[in-house]
Amino acid sequence: MRVGRKLRATVEITYLEAVTAALRDALREDERVFLLGEDIGVFGGAFGATKGLLEEFGPERVLDTPISEEGFVGAAVGAAWMGERPVVELQFADFATCALDQLLTVAAKTHWRSGLPLPLVVRMPSGGGVRGGPFHAASPEGLFAGQPGLKVVCPATVEDAYGLTRSAIDDPDPVLVFEHKALYRRLRGPLPPPSLRTPLGRARLAREGADATVVAYGACVWTALEAVERLGADVEVLDLRTVWPFDAEAILRSLTKTSRLLVLQEAARSTGAAGLVLSLVARLGFESLDAPPALHAPPDTPVPFAPELEDAYLPSVESTAAELERLLAY
Amino acid sequence: MTREQRLELLRLMLLQRQFEDRVLALYRQGRIAGSVYTGRGQEAVAAAAGLALGPDDVVCPLNRELACHFAKGVTVEEAFRNFLGRADGPTRGRDGNMHFGVPARGVFPLVSMLGNLVPVTVGAALAFKRRGEPRVALTFLGEGAFSVGDTHEGLNLAGVWQVPAVFVLQSNGYSYSTPAARQMVNTNLAERITGGWSIPAERVDGTDALATFAACRAAIERARSGGGPQAVEALTLRIHGHAAHDDARYVPAELRAAYADRDPVARLEERLRLDGVGSEELGALRERVRTTVEQGLLEAEASPAPDPAELEDGVWAAPLEKPDRAL
Repeated sequence: MRVGRKLRATVEITYLEAVTAALRDALREDERVFLLGEDIGVFGGAFGATKGLLEEFGPERVLDTPISEEGFVGAAVGAAWMGERPVVELQFADFATCALDQLLTVAAKTHWRSGLPLPLVVRMPSGGGVRGGPFHAASPEGLFAGQPGLKVVCPATVEDAYGLTRSAIDDPDPVLVFEHKALYRRLRGPLPPPSLRTPLGRARLAREGADATVVAYGACVWTALEAVERLGADVEVLDLRTVWPFDAEAILRSLTKTSRLLVLQEAARSTGAAGLVLSLVARLGFESLDAPPALHAPPDTPVPFAPELEDAYLPSVESTAAELERLLAY
Repeated sequence: MTREQRLELLRLMLLQRQFEDRVLALYRQGRIAGSVYTGRGQEAVAAAAGLALGPDDVVCPLNRELACHFAKGVTVEEAFRNFLGRADGPTRGRDGNMHFGVPARGVFPLVSMLGNLVPVTVGAALAFKRRGEPRVALTFLGEGAFSVGDTHEGLNLAGVWQVPAVFVLQSNGYSYSTPAARQMVNTNLAERITGGWSIPAERVDGTDALATFAACRAAIERARSGGGPQAVEALTLRIHGHAAHDDARYVPAELRAAYADRDPVARLEERLRLDGVGSEELGALRERVRTTVEQGLLEAEASPAPDPAELEDGVWAAPLEKPDRAL
């Protein structure tokens, strides 16, 4: 939508529309930016994130691709090598596995071994709660967290959906943006100004508290906030925002204050970013701890389809509140 | 092609041949770590494609194309520094042997996973097309890469997008120890590229340097002038094994015998004699190349070793303010 500067702040948009606004503003401001992915042009993207962009910017800047993730992510790498700023959409984060070689073999190692910046962004809808099953509901950020050369972000708010996407596009390194598909239409907020950038590598204090810290990212931030509300507890919620390389200092600082830690994530318990956070805390936060650090995450299985199974699989407000109670009572 | 261009082609081929002979000797003396791959028998393809490129064109060479690096202006010292793992080499000792590029000279670094560079090259060409720049992106591949999915995704995209990309296929008959016929039903890659992706593909004798140059030059210029992606399949030989440790005993004796008459360096020298290039001039050229190689090695050996304290520098172009070193 085209709105004036004054009007802009009064316009309410969804998380999904914040992504679209970020892409649109980046396309307007920098002609090196172009988008590529499956069905992002005429159709506007499987979730509608690129709706209207083909009409405004034309087929040279909004490219529909064949179903060929390894191919078009590779092509984006090559274009980035030549100084372009490609922004790729993967239809679902699950399909990141198809492009793994380009992301890990080529993109992640480029700068370290050649000194060549690689300004590549790969956006992808991740997460469950939409009955996507084993191939359309995964949270595969853990495949990439810890990989040297990559940056991984997981926006949890409308503001960050805009600000992290803009920062990712500005950044000279490959950045993977895991958008949460359950937040796309659930969250609303003011349309951010085109100047807004969310700094990469910085966590956000979503809620202050004194008795425990919940470290979360993506949709789990909201699960944590609701669980804390429900308990009426004095608990801090830290939204990692950047999952790799994450804000270790913010985690340790919060732990110094609260002495209790719950890591909450939607990725299966032995994947995701939780292991990295727990490793950090075990080694550098040990003396702050009054209780063993807790982990609340789904079991180590793929994401199931049936509503009864998926609802039991994903961390809920109830199950998170129960984990928190156990932690606070320790 | 002028007489000077032909001599330059020979010089580049000799440079790769002599450089790699030196490298093999160093490797056997234990002065080069890791492994060493040579392009003996394939120098004509590397040199011809490199020489046919323009100064603003870019290339992603693979592992048997050092002459292409040299054609683009990579120096012998730079190459030796990489083989020796020196601090001031193209990868600062972070990667070895021919696993390097010099982006400032339009040479981009290879990765070992075959086929990966095909879509990457297509993307580089896409950037040129978007900006309306008359530049071409070229990459090499062989039968090994032709069995990898990336190659096929990349060729498909090149055709759909009609980008100025050139694919030079080195059909040397083998992938490591496995002959092409055990990897694919139709080993005529030019036919498959033309038939499968509607990309024009010319098949040439890759041991004939002049014919290979003509084919590469024509393909590059067709791509540059809006003709879309192009391919050249060079039928060539892998005189050595896959790498230095491999004696290629699996290559049948009759095929080995046939290699003897098809050495691309000898063939070009023979052809140059017809141009009136005498033994004296050829000898002087060989000597000049030998000096370049020896000088380059001396300079590279004088370079410092990399400092382990710098290992984590440059993981990211823009490291975050608080990189989590504690992990």
